[in-house]
Order: sequence, then C-alpha cells, then structure tokens
Amino acid sequence: MCHQTVSLAARHLEANGIPTVIMGCARDIVEHVGVPRLLFSDFPLGNPAGRPHDRESQAFTLDLALRVLEGAPAPRTTVQSPLRWSADPAWKLDYSNIARLSPEEIARRRAEFDRQKEIAKTGRQP
Amino acid sequence: MTQREDGFGFAPDEDVPIPYLQRIRDYYQALGYGAPYRWAHYAEVPFQALAKPLAESRVALVTTAAPYQPDKGDQGPGASYNAAAKFFRVYSGDSASDPDLRISHIAYDRAHTSAEDSGSWFPLAQLRRAAAIGRIGEIAPRFHGMPTNRSHRVTLEQDCPELLARCREDRVEAAVLVAV
Repeated sequence: MCHQTVSLAARHLEANGIPTVIMGCARDIVEHVGVPRLLFSDFPLGNPAGRPHDRESQAFTLDLALRVLEGAPAPRTTVQSPLRWSADPAWKLDYSNIARLSPEEIARRRAEFDRQKEIAKTGRQP
Repeated sequence: MTQREDGFGFAPDEDVPIPYLQRIRDYYQALGYGAPYRWAHYAEVPFQALAKPLAESRVALVTTAAPYQPDKGDQGPGASYNAAAKFFRVYSGDSASDPDLRISHIAYDRAHTSAEDSGSWFPLAQLRRAAAIGRIGEIAPRFHGMPTNRSHRVTLEQDCPELLARCREDRVEAAVLVAV
C-alpha cells in the first residue's frame, strides 16, 4: 500500500505544479500506478533511502534521487540504484512467496491477517 | 544454464526486481481471499519540471512512516506487523526536529531487514546534509506523513488534497516522497 499511496501523492503534487521524486523498493507497483520520477533501490522493502547503518549508502541514495528529480527528461523516468543489497539474490525469493510456505504457515498467516484487519477497523472509528 | 552461457557473466534469472503485484495477488489468493485487489493504474502521467535550480528550491519530505504512539503496542524496531499503529489522517512534523517515527504498521520485509535505522527509510538527516552543502536550497519547514489506505477514494479525495494544501502553505517547490 505504501508504494501505491506515495505514487498517488506524487501524481497529485505534480499535476498541481510541484515536481516530485519517489524513493522506493517496489518498482512494479510504482510503475503500474504511473509516476513522474522514481529512484528504485533493489533492496528489501523498508530500505528505500539506503542501507541501514550505512551513512555512505544513504547519502549516495538521496543524492541519486535528487539527480533524478532535476534531470528526468520525461515522466515515467525510473533510475535503478547501482547499489546491491547482497551478492546473493536469494533474499528476493522470500517476500510473500506462497510457494515457500507450508499449509500450516498459510493457515497461521490467514488467522493473523484477519486479526490485524479487525484491529485496523477499530482504529479507524472516530 | 549451459557452460557457454555461464562464461558470459549473466546474472541468475531470478535476480530481477521482485514482482510484487504478482506475489501479493498469489499470496492473498492462497490465503483464501477472493477477488484480487485492484491497484491504481494510469495511462497518463503528469510532469512538472523544476521552476528553478534545486540549489535554490525548497524541498519537502513526505513519508509513510508513523509517529510512535506509546499506547499502541510494540512498534519496533523489529516488531511484527501492528495494524493498531496505523494512522488515518495526513500529519506534519517539524523538519528541524528529530521525530520518533516507526514502520511497524507497514508490510516491510521483516525477514531481511530490521527497521532499526530510520535513516534507511526516512532520509531527513541526508536532506539536511544536502541543504548544508547547498545541494538543495532548503528543507521545507514541515515534513508530511501520508496514511497508507487500501481505499483509493480516501487517498485520492482526502489525503492527496490535504498533502497538497500543506505543501502549498509551506511554499514547497519540490518534494521527495519515500515509500516504506
């Protein structure tokens, strides 16, 4: 939801005269919505601004985003950061990958999802 | 992969950006939920060039992270998903402060990252550095938090206009939006 929200916000600001750049880790969601500029980091969700505890990585990532902000020639400009999370891409196979979950784990997650949905509903009440 | 192909230094086929749309669709279908979520999708994309150089522009930071709420349970770092920590209205904070923001209400990759360092998802410190060295003109006085809502109507008709109004109030000239 985060990437969709931020994409819709960027579009709205941009349509009203404010240039934007998105920093994100879910390339397909942002591009599916359709945004002016995206700096994509091919990192696990939760690290759109660089590697944790690594100031150099974070400085590089923000600087790249600023360069995308000023240099994009047209909408739908995506730049992929050259930074790598890990030399081994195996981490990419884990996130919400149903093929990797046992039937018991799927049942457990369903119950937890229903529980959290109820909590969110309660939070929304005034 | 044949040995010959191997010699070209190709990356493994699965070493591509994660196809989240497909993953999430398959995931919720396997969990037993019916019609797949329809994600926002547009053919037309707006585009606004900077009106003046970035070094003279006022830049706002927009986040989906949440302010820490002590009464809302474990919010980490490293907490499991916590829907109680969600927020439902655009909020703003002082860009000169060091806010205590958390991401326990977000489905980030808990297997491979810990949310310990807010610098990896809230680049206020780096934006300050950019302002200090003259890379940007200045940071807008407030940063803004966007609720992550499944409802397109709420995001488009309530939250986006509210964000725009706040940016206009602060005379923002460019925005960096960070999706956790």
